[in-house]
Amino acid sequence: MIAFVVGSVVVRARWLTGRQRVRDVISSSRVARSLVACLVAIVLAILVPAVTAAQRPGSKPPQKKPPKSKLPAAVLALPTKPVMKVASLDRGTRPQVSKAAQAIDQILAAHWKAKDVTPSPLLSDQQFLRRVFLDLAGRIPSLREAQLFLQPPKRDREALVDYLLESPDYVSHFYNYWADILRLVDRPQRQLIFEPYLYYVKDSIRTNKPYDTWVHEMLSADGLLWENPAVGFQLRDSGMPLPYVDNTVRVFLGTQIGCAQCHDHPFDDWTQHQFYELAAFTSGTKNRGGVSTRELAQEARKELKQPTRFIQFLNANATSVSYKDTPLRLPHDYQYDDDKPKAVVTPHVLWGSVPTAQQNANRREQFASWVVSHDNRQFARTIANRLWKKIMGRGLVEPVDDFQAGNPAAISELLEHLTDEILRLNFDMREFIRILVSTDAYQRRAVVYDPASGVPFRFPAPALRRMTAEQLWDSIVTLVAYNAWAVQRPTTDEVAKAASVDVEKVSFESALKQYEQFDEAFGPGKQMRHLQKTVGYKGQLLVRASELPSPLPLGHFLRQFGQSDRESIEGSRTVATVPQILTMFNGPITHSMLERGSVIYDNVLASIPRGPDQVITVVFMSLLSRPPTLSERKLAREEISTAQTPAAGYGNLIWALLNTREFIFIQ
Amino acid sequence: MTFHHDSGQRVSRRDVLQRLAGLAFGVSVHGHFGLAGLSAQAAQAQAVTPSRDVSVILLQMRGAMSHLDTFDPKPGRAEQGETKAIRTKTPGIQFSEHVPKLAGMSDRLAVLRAMTTETGAHEQATYLMRTSYTAINSIVHPSMGSWTLHAQGKRSKELPGFVLIGNGNEHPGAGFLDASYTPVPVADPDRGLENTTQPAYLSDAQFRRRLSLADRIDRAFKNAHEGPQIAAYDQMYKDATKLLGGSGLEAFDISKEPEKLKAQYGDTKFGKGCMLARRLVEAGVRCVEVELGGWDMHRDIFADVGEKATDLDTGMSGLLKDLGDRGMLDSTLVVLATEFGRTPEVNQNAGRDHHPAVFSCVLAGAGIKGGSVYGTSDERGFRPDDDAAMVSDFNTTIAHAAGLPYTKEFSAPNGRPFKIGGGGTPIKAILAS
Repeated sequence: MIAFVVGSVVVRARWLTGRQRVRDVISSSRVARSLVACLVAIVLAILVPAVTAAQRPGSKPPQKKPPKSKLPAAVLALPTKPVMKVASLDRGTRPQVSKAAQAIDQILAAHWKAKDVTPSPLLSDQQFLRRVFLDLAGRIPSLREAQLFLQPPKRDREALVDYLLESPDYVSHFYNYWADILRLVDRPQRQLIFEPYLYYVKDSIRTNKPYDTWVHEMLSADGLLWENPAVGFQLRDSGMPLPYVDNTVRVFLGTQIGCAQCHDHPFDDWTQHQFYELAAFTSGTKNRGGVSTRELAQEARKELKQPTRFIQFLNANATSVSYKDTPLRLPHDYQYDDDKPKAVVTPHVLWGSVPTAQQNANRREQFASWVVSHDNRQFARTIANRLWKKIMGRGLVEPVDDFQAGNPAAISELLEHLTDEILRLNFDMREFIRILVSTDAYQRRAVVYDPASGVPFRFPAPALRRMTAEQLWDSIVTLVAYNAWAVQRPTTDEVAKAASVDVEKVSFESALKQYEQFDEAFGPGKQMRHLQKTVGYKGQLLVRASELPSPLPLGHFLRQFGQSDRESIEGSRTVATVPQILTMFNGPITHSMLERGSVIYDNVLASIPRGPDQVITVVFMSLLSRPPTLSERKLAREEISTAQTPAAGYGNLIWALLNTREFIFIQ
Repeated sequence: MTFHHDSGQRVSRRDVLQRLAGLAFGVSVHGHFGLAGLSAQAAQAQAVTPSRDVSVILLQMRGAMSHLDTFDPKPGRAEQGETKAIRTKTPGIQFSEHVPKLAGMSDRLAVLRAMTTETGAHEQATYLMRTSYTAINSIVHPSMGSWTLHAQGKRSKELPGFVLIGNGNEHPGAGFLDASYTPVPVADPDRGLENTTQPAYLSDAQFRRRLSLADRIDRAFKNAHEGPQIAAYDQMYKDATKLLGGSGLEAFDISKEPEKLKAQYGDTKFGKGCMLARRLVEAGVRCVEVELGGWDMHRDIFADVGEKATDLDTGMSGLLKDLGDRGMLDSTLVVLATEFGRTPEVNQNAGRDHHPAVFSCVLAGAGIKGGSVYGTSDERGFRPDDDAAMVSDFNTTIAHAAGLPYTKEFSAPNGRPFKIGGGGTPIKAILAS
């Protein structure tokens, strides 16, 4: 079944000390709601247009309760238990984090001095708050979170960073990040049920598994998806052993050897022979577990009108990764002089050597150990550069998967330092990110950088970026839903329980029964109907982007704003198009914000008794995470006083702020 | 409480929006859009081109269309596998059995059978096909549709100049050209352009207030972060506002087409995409690209290729017939392209793998000599035998037929020179003039 976590976000505002804590947006709004409950009826009477005569101002206020919200009840429900338990940070390493951040700043300062670069001014607390939420939690702060942080006198940036790195939002955001790189989809092929692997990725982030351990697991795993979900990485390229090698090297070693699959690389050093030598490590990987589904499939064709999906279900239970050393031969049309067509190749790594301890292991294990070894500096360099880009908007090497002699790092001493750092941290990615966001370099006002200018980027600040599709979606959901986690993607165990049958032993009848149970929970259409019923609003599912099906259809909000189809590595984009604007104008997700019962609706409602200035502040804080300037306040007041009703004015203001560049760009 | 209010007054939305576009964004609608808005460079380019006003419909086969199973069969060879060859209307020329309708109108087609490209990777090869240039790190090259707008301007003031139907993220769009040449993507031809209906409560006046308010609040941010990213969004807001205010939205609605015609195009996403393309071109869109994915048949190709090729056959033949019936074929260039071919040798999974050495593409309509075949592949369909055409030659031929200034050099922001079509040679043998 769909994991259905009702309620949960007991947000522990850890950056607060002492008495202030544990008053998150949810509880505070609920309190606010009950406080103003007696006023609601009166306010409604004043604000609802097209009111009946009996409800006009001055006449008797209506006694009825306000109409029900059109938003799904699950997203309005009070959370009752934690969304997930995220691995805790070591508070004791704070001094080292600060020191490490300073070391990075010193390298940059020396570089700027040499290149005559003036760094960008430092961020205000408000700007820092919004950016760090988007970069670590993948969404804007809620009104309450913004108010809590900005409350004087102590605006503790370090505590805020730590709070975010331990939040479910961090897990969600970095899941989206890896989903784009690893091409995470629910069904990459008809016989592959991939939810266990997707959950495994999410869970590896939740437990903050060291990166080298994680990658080693994925490169060496064997078995069925429900036994060992890490096999998903291998199965993503099932049946394509050479592209598998190409993709693996590209993602984890930042190197493109794909051209050498067919011929010597035209402008890099890689030869076709080298490609085959590397591929020889994994060529003995099999994706069929040696079990046969033939008899059950035959019976299914005889007994069932539409046996196809049942047979695919059986095949899923016969798809497991196994490995046996097997010689690899060059292609029959191999055209170079260094070897003959169809010759057996001896495995060789691209550089360095297989670690001594693994030299007698099977070849696939040798390959995995070589990739993640501390001695394989390119592995560390690649992830250091990737995460630097994640935080600073641009890699020191661009593209991040095309390291080569002709493409040097923008600041090579910095890249080597970052490589040392990730090695020192034993591939603790979260601690590494903690250091990066603690630098002055990160905490500067974003600058516009156009790669087409031909001028190298020297990191005077992070590069200005548009929100990713997921950041935009999750930010709007923050304005709508009290519980953005009403549905979560299923766990490995849940899928295993529903999908696992022993195809060698099971009878036809029980296999069919198991399939029917599985289909009820995970079958196409049926799963979507469950979701629509629980969290659907005008066809949209109001949950975190990380928990939505993948890939989404082309017309979905997330795809419109550039989420990848997850067929090509890092296929997401942030290019502007007209349909995006139409969606911001008129799309269901914009409407959901303006619905009765949404977070922002309630927050506005609660502030009405304190006058229009307070409402204006609430709207600005909710959308832009800052109070209005004097002139903006004047504009907003004008808008509200001249609108047909004050409420229409507030609606216009919310809509207007959503449709600013300031909203969708991360400054 | 409600955030919306219906004023009850109905001013013409179009009037309001046209005024609004000027108010909110500080531009004059009439002055900015359409031909008058072209840069001096583009205007100059226009002066050297033929006066023909050609539209282009590009049919992009994604995943790499097998040439042996479509337009270049090798009957009698083991490589041909299960796909049979059939006669076409052109004497001596055979197509595969999966494209019978196109075979029946081969007199309208120019088939290139010795296309060859640089790379066997989908993304890079598709990029090359769309832009005529190899992908590099620092800049994005413009796609053909955006070049047509840059050189010739939009044909309609209200409609976008360039529309993509069913395309994914990787389309290079306007590349380094001005954001106003960015294509408008349509995800699903049945749904057309979505979210174009303003809610009932939202009056034109209120919409105008909202936009104007957003613009005024946004000024400080925009001034502080001036650059191409912000400018592109500003442009999209202008375009979206203009589109809502115009009468062009109907062009996106294929439900208005007669049932009989729908059958002619086929009840498939691609067929409907082709029909929408014709509708858009008829209404004044200069370039439409329709994508048909799923050609990457590494396994069981003979089980899958028939259906895919039938979608193509019905959609493209339906389009050509419809354009012909309406007298639009003289002014509309139809291009069938794919990133590369598939191996003649059938692999151990009964599929065909990537094959950049040789493949087929097709041209029809404006400026094209029907019934022609250019280039031949060898007896296996493995390498070009004669008259090989590079991607740049193919795209330069398109540029010639569409009346684009393909010999002219254009400068990118980094100062490098680029040519429409990538500096290839137009293939005179298949051009009508």
